Amino acid sequence: MSGETTSDPASYRDLLDPSSLALRHRLGLVGLVALGLLPFTNDLAGLLGLGALGVDRLMVLKLTGALYFAVFAMSWDAVSGYTGQISFGHGLFFAVGGYTSALLNLNWGVDPAIAIVVGMVFAALAGVVVGVPALRLEGPYLSLVTLVAPLILLQLFIVFSDTFGGELGLSSPENLLAFESFETAITANYYLAFGLFVFVLVLLLAVTRSDAGSVFTAIREDEDAVAAAGLDPAKFKVFAFVLSAAVGGLAGAMFVHTPVGNPQPSQLLVLTVSIEVIIASVLGGMGTIVGPAVGGLFYYMFRDYLSGVSWTVPVADVPVSELDLLLFSLITLALLFFLPGGIVRWTIRNGRRALRRGGRNGGERAVPDGGTDPSDGDDTNAGGEPETGTSPLERTLAAYREAFDDESTDDRTDGGRR
Amino acid sequence: MVDVLTTVVNAVTISALYALVAIGFTLIFGVGGVLNLAHGAILTIGAFTAYYATSALGLGIWTGAAAALVVAAVFSAVLYLGMIRWVQDEPILVMILTLVTSIAIEQFFVVTVGTQSKAVPSLLPGQLTLAGISVQTNQALTFVLSWVLIGGLIVAVNYTQTGKAILATSMTKKGAALVGIESDRMYLYTWLLAGALAGVAGVFLASYRTASYTMGRGPLILSFSIVVLGGIGSIRGSVVGAYLIGFLEVFTVSYVDSSLSGLASLVVLVVVLLVRPEGLFGRELTEA
Repeated sequence: MSGETTSDPASYRDLLDPSSLALRHRLGLVGLVALGLLPFTNDLAGLLGLGALGVDRLMVLKLTGALYFAVFAMSWDAVSGYTGQISFGHGLFFAVGGYTSALLNLNWGVDPAIAIVVGMVFAALAGVVVGVPALRLEGPYLSLVTLVAPLILLQLFIVFSDTFGGELGLSSPENLLAFESFETAITANYYLAFGLFVFVLVLLLAVTRSDAGSVFTAIREDEDAVAAAGLDPAKFKVFAFVLSAAVGGLAGAMFVHTPVGNPQPSQLLVLTVSIEVIIASVLGGMGTIVGPAVGGLFYYMFRDYLSGVSWTVPVADVPVSELDLLLFSLITLALLFFLPGGIVRWTIRNGRRALRRGGRNGGERAVPDGGTDPSDGDDTNAGGEPETGTSPLERTLAAYREAFDDESTDDRTDGGRR
Repeated sequence: MVDVLTTVVNAVTISALYALVAIGFTLIFGVGGVLNLAHGAILTIGAFTAYYATSALGLGIWTGAAAALVVAAVFSAVLYLGMIRWVQDEPILVMILTLVTSIAIEQFFVVTVGTQSKAVPSLLPGQLTLAGISVQTNQALTFVLSWVLIGGLIVAVNYTQTGKAILATSMTKKGAALVGIESDRMYLYTWLLAGALAGVAGVFLASYRTASYTMGRGPLILSFSIVVLGGIGSIRGSVVGAYLIGFLEVFTVSYVDSSLSGLASLVVLVVVLLVRPEGLFGRELTEA
């Protein structure tokens, strides 16, 4: 997945051709298009006479929040999932971006569009501030600093409550997109969030699938080896931090200029925010970018759903709605423990297996190289072996490839635990 | 003048408790190389065990404190055996797991007890007068008990077979294994000890503040500062660090600004990490 660096220029056209995409990529595209069409599902359902099947305005608003949350999760993944420099305090960057932008708008009346850019720049600077210690500190020590940094910022906010509004936060700044009609505003803000989501998704996918992304992964696996290969890990680490901080800050800054977000510590800065981002990313799958995007959307919406459930747990007599974070932390614990690669990886792997099994039975579309890229697969097939997997040798080879493939996916996160 | 003395007494008491929490934290990290972010939550477990024993079961607070010690120690051991043992070679995964565990514990208490703070009775009610200032007996007890535990621990670690084995494991796991020490068992001991100390500290902390689901966070964060300041893995360093941080904390809150609570120690932590990561008494981490 992250190892796929597209070096062959001819394949760029294939990249844009949906029919050449792997199934998971197609599914991803379908998912994106569906997300893009969501606000209109209500109207569509109405047109088709299906009644209130689509999502209502409130749901659109919630989805907007979910999209921002997913961007937060992706920004975390860019540094922590890839370089292995686990940040326990990504809320710092969201808050720096959000507060900078909100303060500029509230105190000096700066236009939100400009304020957001400044917020992003400040967040990137915060990324430098946290990233540079990362050069001196390793593993747990770095995580301690990242854990502590947002706490310090929160304390500063409380000490200088006059400026920063303390624990309650600031009042809501001007919205980036303001409309007369409430409905239009909601839809517009949804598309703003969606645009950001797609932009960040593409940006981070591009960066992490580039050669720099390979270096990030290499740093996670073995920093000394990277240094020995003549590359400067420090440079890449700081780059990852700054990139991640800038993306997080951008999302934080845009978030406060929407109807769903406010510059409040509870939404941007407190420990729980940083941890929820981690939980969501781990659920989806660290080190994939797509995983945290899916995990973020899922986490936000599922928590929202749980908080609305009126069913109570029989024995303890506690409504499920109060259990949401507890449930999520337990699920995360179990997932981390048993499925360290996350849901997306697991689905892809098992989907592949199922496909392959189906393919073997049906004698069609058996992809010999573990299905990483159908176009590659087709090429190999064209090389004269249309009946892949029929001879014992071929099957053994395929089994080895499968095992190797799974192994290398596993290694991403659990570094040879087994 | 009396005012200053009272502040000093407060600082001494709170530092004594921080020392207990920090020693457990440093033991686990120094011996096993594991940063246990659920340590604060274990303290909370201790406090609420005492609360349950006294309010729901009607037991005395001393029984409650003993129960807290046992429950916290057992929980800590179960956490190690059930989860951490399998992943302890991956510090990052351990941090995430323990952090999520602590959230789960906090949420568990939110669900079962609620977000309201609960009072836990003093272990020794009353006042006594020392050198002209009156001190709560509970505070005096905290101080004495803390030093008894710390003294006992230092003696145990330095002079008993098991203690020496723990020390050896913390210095070099391979070397210890070569002379027949089972490192897994030593880790288990440290988790038990750390849990017990945190449980006791939780009861005392709850007895003169209150028990709440977030009560473990502050001490956990302070433990970072203490342990990093004192030098990771050093019991002596943790005690000294606990008093330095405790005094810093209490005096900033009393004389500078109460809203600065927690800030000073965090700044100390970051500065120490950047300037002298091995701390006051620490050695550079030995082999990985």
